[in-house]
Amino acid sequence: MHELSTLWLRAAAGFYSVGLVHALLLALRRTSRLFPIALGAFSVGIVLHAVSLVEQGVATGHFPANNFFQSASLCALLSALLYVFVWWRYRVRNLCMFIFPLVFVLTLIGALGSPVGRWADEGVRDAWLLVHVALVLAGYAALTVAAVASIAYLVRERQLKRKLALPFSADSPALMTLDELIGRGLALGFVMITLGVVAATTWAAVESGTRWIRDPRILISLGTWALYLLMIFLRATAGWRGRKAAVMVVALVGCSVLTWAAHTSLRHLLLP
Amino acid sequence: MKFSITGLNHRSAPVEVREGLAFDARSLGEALTDLLRRPGIAEGLILSTCNRVEVAVTSPDGEDPRAVVEEFLAARRGVDVGWLAPYLYHFEDAEAIRHLFRVAASLDSMVVGEPQILGQLKAAYAAAKAHGAVGGWMETILTRAFGVAKRVRTETGIGENPVSISSTAVDLARQIFGSLAERRVMVVGAGKMAELAVRHLRSAGVTRIYVTNRTLERARAMAEAFEGVVVEYDRFLDALQEMDIVLTSSGAPFYLLRKEQVRRVMEARRNRPVFLIDIAVPRNVDPAVNELDNVFLYDIDDLQRVADANMGERRKRAQLAERIVAEEVERMVARLKAREVTPTIVGLQQRFEQIRQAELARYRSRLGPLSPEQLDALEGLTRSILAKLAHGPITELRRQAGRPDGFEVVELIRRIFRLDE
Repeated sequence: MHELSTLWLRAAAGFYSVGLVHALLLALRRTSRLFPIALGAFSVGIVLHAVSLVEQGVATGHFPANNFFQSASLCALLSALLYVFVWWRYRVRNLCMFIFPLVFVLTLIGALGSPVGRWADEGVRDAWLLVHVALVLAGYAALTVAAVASIAYLVRERQLKRKLALPFSADSPALMTLDELIGRGLALGFVMITLGVVAATTWAAVESGTRWIRDPRILISLGTWALYLLMIFLRATAGWRGRKAAVMVVALVGCSVLTWAAHTSLRHLLLP
Repeated sequence: MKFSITGLNHRSAPVEVREGLAFDARSLGEALTDLLRRPGIAEGLILSTCNRVEVAVTSPDGEDPRAVVEEFLAARRGVDVGWLAPYLYHFEDAEAIRHLFRVAASLDSMVVGEPQILGQLKAAYAAAKAHGAVGGWMETILTRAFGVAKRVRTETGIGENPVSISSTAVDLARQIFGSLAERRVMVVGAGKMAELAVRHLRSAGVTRIYVTNRTLERARAMAEAFEGVVVEYDRFLDALQEMDIVLTSSGAPFYLLRKEQVRRVMEARRNRPVFLIDIAVPRNVDPAVNELDNVFLYDIDDLQRVADANMGERRKRAQLAERIVAEEVERMVARLKAREVTPTIVGLQQRFEQIRQAELARYRSRLGPLSPEQLDALEGLTRSILAKLAHGPITELRRQAGRPDGFEVVELIRRIFRLDE
């Protein structure tokens, strides 16, 4: 990839990251005052992103969708443009919860299509990997809490729907409490796993150049993260709560178990 | 000392008899004073609720308090003892303690496990205490009765399952929402049943109540009674999306809420759960509404079924509670018996000491001058002899304390050692 074009793309990813922070805050606290700033940074990111792609097209003499990295970058730009149009036309704000992280991650992948350089120090390499592992494990812990609450929710909801006598006890949380727990666990897990994915992507890019994207473990991780993003978005925007949210968390835990298995010694059972 | 209970309850007397005999809080003090003035009554307590009127008394051994209490009850209500007597029951000593423990633990209540009776018993105790009518024996028994009630509740969980329609509805609402303090409740139809249910919801912490009714005046009256807000009947569907609990009791002969309408409401409220309580007959809410996610619909039969199941569970737990009561009665009887022999033991020890002192004084001059060491040895010797002699009767007294015929042995020992002289 052309050097200057890569520089613009990395700068665009930097601006998009403000949007990511806004989306993470929104998932965690259900409110964020960062939206105007995030939207401004997102718009600047779009301009830089467009400049990068045009420059790349001119430099290479072909449409900048020649490989996976370029396609991811182009897809990110189109998604960003579409969002800005929808915002301008319909003022749909909640969509940013889905688009901001997606555009950031796709742009990051695109920006890592060029070699990033080598580790200056082995200690930094190991520490970076450790941060990734810690973030992902924290995310799994939050997801486990959400999963336990989901199972309790499904059992209790079934009893209530079927009108089975079930005396209230101070020890057994109400459905709304369980739903709240599911939401909190899901949000916290999403924040941790998103940061973990960013850490893993950059680590892999430095470690193995552009070969990392062909690693099935990375693809499984990105797929699980995309599913997670979709669920967070549906919960926040389409009102997926209660039974749907509980089932969705259980499904997500299933995907996360596969991802975990792919990263451990079990991977020989899953991957060719 | 004898402990007895005389009274009537929902099983022994019809409501017209019970209501005629009930004591109100204002007349209780004067009634207690009257009771204590009567012959052979040492302590007294009057428990008067809508389902029972009972008079608990303690009286010295040899007295028959039954006739006195029957006379008291008849005189207080201006009826003939002969007319009243068939409705009354009477328990003495262990049976009276057992009855009191069962009453306190709500095992003798019309609705087994209901929590009000314990509060009513405590109020009766407070009134008796305030008028100086209890202390000593009765206080010991009552305090233990409160402890037994607490133990039964804790160990059996007998009061956990709601058994009335209204309390079942409140319990279900708690299972869905947890705290009800911030929940909005809409009442559709302002009938008596709805009023009762709203009263229960209010006591569970609900403050935001909205009332709608075809007749606006009735809606206003109910809203006023519960500090609620009136919603025009034509607009209640628009207001539904803000409501967490909807209670329908309208007399409409058709469904007021259909599945499609509720689906739209759920979309508008972004699927936040809603609890629909349909106590109307014919029903106001289409049963298919329960198929929607996050909608919980209970009609009157559903609530009754849950309440019945809970009642069955309570009965099972009541069996365990009866075992706890039996065990506690046994302990209490033993404790009271032990308390009964204490004066005899103390009297016996005093009697022996008197004899020892008298004999020492008698023989002291004959022994001549004694050194302090010799005096100490003499004191020790006499004390030791008497302690060994007293050991047998005292041990026997303590052993007999818990036995039904123990008082005969106590009497014998009192006579042998002339403790009553």
